[in-house]
Amino acid sequence: MSDIVTDSEVDGPETPEEVPWTPAAEVLTAPAGTPAATARNPLRQPHDRRLPRIPEPCALVVFGVTGDLARKKLLPAVYDLANRGLLPPDFALLGFARRDWGDGDFADLARAAAKEHARTAWDEEVWSRLSAQIQFLPGAFDDDAAFDKLAETLTKLCDTHGINGNVAFYLSIPPALFPTVLEQMQRTGLADEGKSGGWRRVVVEKPFGHDIESALALNKLVDDVFGADDVFRIDHYLGKETVQNLMALRFANQLFEPVWNANFVDSVQITMAEDVGIGGRATFYDATGAARDVLQNHLLQLLALTAMEEPVEFTPDAIQVEKLKVLRAITLPHDLKHYAVRGQYDQGWQAGERVLAYRSEQGVPADSNTETYAAVRLGIDTRRWAGVPFYMRTGKRLPRRVTEIAVIFKKAPHLPFSHTDTEELGHNQLVIRVQPDEGVTLKFGSKVPGSMMEVRDVSMDFLYGEAFTESSPEAYERLILDVLLGDSTLFPRNAEVEASWRVIDPLEEFWKNYPPHAYRAGEWGPRAADEMLQRDGRNWRRP
Amino acid sequence: MTTLWDTTGAEVVKALAAERRTGGGVTSGLALTLVVVAEEKDVRDVEAAVSIAAARHPMRVLVVIRGPIDAPKPRLDAEVVIGGRFGPVESVVLRTYGRLSLHVESVTLPLLAPDAPVVAWWYSQTPDLIAHDPLGVFADRRITNVIRDPDPIAALRQRAADYAPGDTDLTWTVITAWRAAMASALDTMHSPASRVTVKGNPLDPSALLLAGWLSACLNLYVPVEPAPGKYISSVEVEFSDGHRITLNNESHRLVMRRPGQPDSIAPFPNRTNGDILAEELRRLDADQTYATALGAVTGEKDLSSRTPTRKHIWIDPALAASEA
Repeated sequence: MSDIVTDSEVDGPETPEEVPWTPAAEVLTAPAGTPAATARNPLRQPHDRRLPRIPEPCALVVFGVTGDLARKKLLPAVYDLANRGLLPPDFALLGFARRDWGDGDFADLARAAAKEHARTAWDEEVWSRLSAQIQFLPGAFDDDAAFDKLAETLTKLCDTHGINGNVAFYLSIPPALFPTVLEQMQRTGLADEGKSGGWRRVVVEKPFGHDIESALALNKLVDDVFGADDVFRIDHYLGKETVQNLMALRFANQLFEPVWNANFVDSVQITMAEDVGIGGRATFYDATGAARDVLQNHLLQLLALTAMEEPVEFTPDAIQVEKLKVLRAITLPHDLKHYAVRGQYDQGWQAGERVLAYRSEQGVPADSNTETYAAVRLGIDTRRWAGVPFYMRTGKRLPRRVTEIAVIFKKAPHLPFSHTDTEELGHNQLVIRVQPDEGVTLKFGSKVPGSMMEVRDVSMDFLYGEAFTESSPEAYERLILDVLLGDSTLFPRNAEVEASWRVIDPLEEFWKNYPPHAYRAGEWGPRAADEMLQRDGRNWRRP
Repeated sequence: MTTLWDTTGAEVVKALAAERRTGGGVTSGLALTLVVVAEEKDVRDVEAAVSIAAARHPMRVLVVIRGPIDAPKPRLDAEVVIGGRFGPVESVVLRTYGRLSLHVESVTLPLLAPDAPVVAWWYSQTPDLIAHDPLGVFADRRITNVIRDPDPIAALRQRAADYAPGDTDLTWTVITAWRAAMASALDTMHSPASRVTVKGNPLDPSALLLAGWLSACLNLYVPVEPAPGKYISSVEVEFSDGHRITLNNESHRLVMRRPGQPDSIAPFPNRTNGDILAEELRRLDADQTYATALGAVTGEKDLSSRTPTRKHIWIDPALAASEA
């Protein structure tokens, strides 16, 4: 409402009755995340919130377009964006992969993939229009001729589709191939903004390295070819509606921030549990493990958003500054033996089905010591959080798929009720459910109806699906759109990735000497993880 | 569903509470209360629209059908439905007869969801002055639809004369796709527009609002030139560097033509009343852009600086009729 004055400040000239038009000028300030080229557009006004954010004309080049991720997430997300009318009319998608396919075969594959995994309803007409904008180019990544062809095709596509050189490259390929592909891009001038006249961006998927050294090398490699500001690292968790809501919850409300500190918070538990095993990713997973796969990126990002100070403004830079401060203030426990537990699932029963032990999974060595579960107690050395333990855990083959952040408050310093009245009263909790059932739960004590004074825990629920039944966009939809718009708010930067590895590396170093604890598939992790909290007089929340 | 014949407002409140308890709490978080003023013949259409909009906005819907005020005795009939044919909403259909039709707010006030915004929607004809209808006075947002008025252009002018921040008209909502397409088209241009023409039915309020919006944003006189078709058929833009673009509505496709470049085609689906209503309910604050466009089209000034609250003006149609 604050910018309501802009209309009234401008007086239109006197207009005769026959020409009832009142031209008016508007003060223009573009909202955050507006592409520079569209900020000058007089039809895009900050207070006109009906108009969707649509990127400038651009092309998206996907390397490894026939891979799993591209088929299950990227192509459906692009279709969903097209179906929602969020792609610019001048758009082109160029797929590049090693497979030797014709344009037609690829069109069939893309159609099947998009149709199967799309979130929004299937509209044949939208697809036929989109598929006219999709092209496939086969070729090996080390083949100079293929890349020359790619550069040539891209230039042609840009010309025929009215795209002024704006291209985003999505590297949906194993990191081992990065050097080859990036080198080729440099050689052919694909990454050169000056030459192309538009922006050039690159999207990188995790893993962002496997330790600090490799992360530094990878960051340098990518940043040398593209500028650091043009590199978008996808952590799809940050594209989820609840994660974005975490900032709204904390910084738009008066209610929570006053108690969001060590004076009131007893501990924080951040959980990401998966019910599935490792699927077909044995080779990758066995070399990686739960800590590198999940803790280093998703969980530490959630921790950073939970614990960070208020950013000065809601811009990518300001948010990154605060996240980085938290990540750098993370401390590891001195007693790693007791406060850093890793586990590996053994055979067991899950959801009524018999499942294999990790070591019996196809492609996993029988003597593998890779962890499928990791739990660790972290501290944050800041005035706000000193002394508050942050318990992080992640695992595979746990009873259910759930990700949540639980802020557990201290007990009231004095209870005027008798001990027996409050036997069932636990800690007050604020739980942010990231998935599934996105929402927020507040748990507090309430009197049980009846003649006795008896207090027990009840929970108050805010469910996204209920208050806003419009289904939230899939994380990839949001993130791809942000890349094309050039809005880097939801993407971790170099420095964050490096700070995260500085937390993980000592853990990995320590774990090298100890085999993981076994836990039965379908249980909430190894006993050692439960003992870790019991030692502190606490318990894991059952999510 | 609970049906109450010849009942009172208090009974309706009780019936709603009872339905909520037995209905299994389909909606625990209500975002708003929508008050729809409709006629008996429109009820089906209103239901269809509300059930679509309700999928995106959990709400309580009060459909008010005012019967003839010359009925001998005031009377209230009500239907309370939770879930069911309106979709995931709590809905109450209120039919009033006799003098009660002039005091429907006495029934709706206790039924508004606590502390949630109230949106009033006149499905067909809007009162000349919204202040004449107490349902509009209590609402935070008011939605009209001048296209359903016998004389849409006069109705649009009346909406501008009567405008208060928080009013919007569905003839504005339907052109969001046009506006998005225009904005995208201008994203690619590097020089200012020098001449813009909207072609279509000059008696279509949507065409006028589009022209008004363009003229206000671009600081140009934008005429609506007659062209075949009931609504907007195309928009032509000339830029100061000589470039020209044309946007055409060709059977649910929006085709953008630029010399020297291939046509670009975007989907342009025909949205249902429900989709349009859902877009309206997304934002519950005043739409300044609409005010600007409406002001530009009618010559009314400073629409956004008017006071957002209205005071009820009592009129008695029976008295007016007898005086006439």
